[in-house]
Amino acid sequence: MKEVRTVLESLNNVGIDPVKAVIGSVSDVFQWEEQKVNEMKGYLLSENFRYHYEHNAYYRMLCDDNNITPADIQDFKDLHKIPLIPVTSFKRPDSHLLLSTSLTNIEFEMRSTGTSGIPSISRRDRETVDRSIFSLYAMYRDIFMFSRGAALFLFPSPEEMPEMGMVKALNMLSGLFDATKCLVKRASFKPKEAIEVLERWENMHTRHIIGPPFLVYKLVKYLKTNDIRLKLDKKTMVINLGGWKKFSGMEIPRSQFNEDCAEYLGIPKENVRDMYGLVEANLLAIECDKQSKHVPPWVHFSLRDPKDLSKEVPQGRRGVLAIMDPTSLSYPGFILTEDLVYLEKENTCECGRNGQKVVYITRVPGAEIGCCAINLEKHMDEIEAQKTTVAP
Amino acid sequence: MYNPTIVAHFSNPKHSGELPNANQELKIGNSVCGDTVFLKLRIVQEKVEDAKFTAYGCATSLATADIFAHYIIGKQLSEIIATPIDRREAMLGELEPPQMHCLHILHELFTQLEQVAV
Repeated sequence: MKEVRTVLESLNNVGIDPVKAVIGSVSDVFQWEEQKVNEMKGYLLSENFRYHYEHNAYYRMLCDDNNITPADIQDFKDLHKIPLIPVTSFKRPDSHLLLSTSLTNIEFEMRSTGTSGIPSISRRDRETVDRSIFSLYAMYRDIFMFSRGAALFLFPSPEEMPEMGMVKALNMLSGLFDATKCLVKRASFKPKEAIEVLERWENMHTRHIIGPPFLVYKLVKYLKTNDIRLKLDKKTMVINLGGWKKFSGMEIPRSQFNEDCAEYLGIPKENVRDMYGLVEANLLAIECDKQSKHVPPWVHFSLRDPKDLSKEVPQGRRGVLAIMDPTSLSYPGFILTEDLVYLEKENTCECGRNGQKVVYITRVPGAEIGCCAINLEKHMDEIEAQKTTVAP
Repeated sequence: MYNPTIVAHFSNPKHSGELPNANQELKIGNSVCGDTVFLKLRIVQEKVEDAKFTAYGCATSLATADIFAHYIIGKQLSEIIATPIDRREAMLGELEPPQMHCLHILHELFTQLEQVAV
């Protein structure tokens, strides 16, 4: 049975992008049984692999070195053979080699900067930007179902940091709300101001809080220290993106964080949600109300043995995450990350969705501790320290 | 989004890499956005004999480093410093607003080279 493949090929033949068609059907695809999903992934990723093989001299050389051609990648069972690009390649001075298209076609450069200060730059053309935006909105809508309400944005406005990946991804949510307020200004955040805004919105909007964990944590810690207990709304969500490790190296304890959010913000614990993504990929894995992080069904997460990256580890075992993302056309979206994760053993979820569910563990040993959030925290700490020094 | 000058220098940089016999180095860095240029120079008798850069950041900043290196090689420091502002700015071609910060990178490279010449 090659039913899914046949349908996707037919769409392609009549001029409908199968990747966009799958993204647009996210809620239905989340219900598909595993075999059907794998057939879809196998088709989209093998086609995407062929595209990069044919359009990217650098990637083709990498394939030649591994003796892999499009003939070797026919369907899902072959995906593990696709040559991977280490995520550190996006930081290299010669990262132009990663492009499968001319710079003339690049529409948007997005960046993330870690503690080393060297930015990771991903460049997207029109088609990749289209697919990325559809991908993020499809997941936001499917998991959160936002179409109204008010959101407190605990991250800098894109006006201040227009190319920062985390800011761009979170700010996309603004179009789904009736009101938003960005409370990180010139690298400064005042929890008291956040409380005032939340109180102003009371009985007018369902209130949400969105930002990297270290800033949400700062707000909750302020409430805790001052023994302030808010009562936000039944459907209030606290949405996090950007990693739980602080610049100091300390890790924000997730379960305690959920408890504190429930106690001091007055919301159900299951409304605290985390998301996983990286600037180089066009995806967000988002937590459902059962606190499982769902990988977008068109993306394949392949976990590699840390001692031999060519081998996959069994589901449920920890491994280095390799992302296979068919939405990327401007550069190959076959990326070997520096993140150690595991996939939950069952591909079903009590929330009703099927598919891969990822659990982030830590960075691989020796990898740079860094992401947009850590860099932002470091920058804010430096500004704060400067203010303290010059204050009379 | 990118003018032909930026496309050419980004896609096919002529002066990227290391310069083992360098005797001067310029460094431009922005701690927030991360655009960074290291430019190594071989200067003999007030003349730039060779220049190589390593840069990290947006395509326009990488192209800027290559354009600057290309411009200064073979010139006397006095000639480089005397380059009028309008000519310096024309070197990058027409830029879009998000690329304008690269003019600062370019001006900073000229300024640092002036300090070398003093």
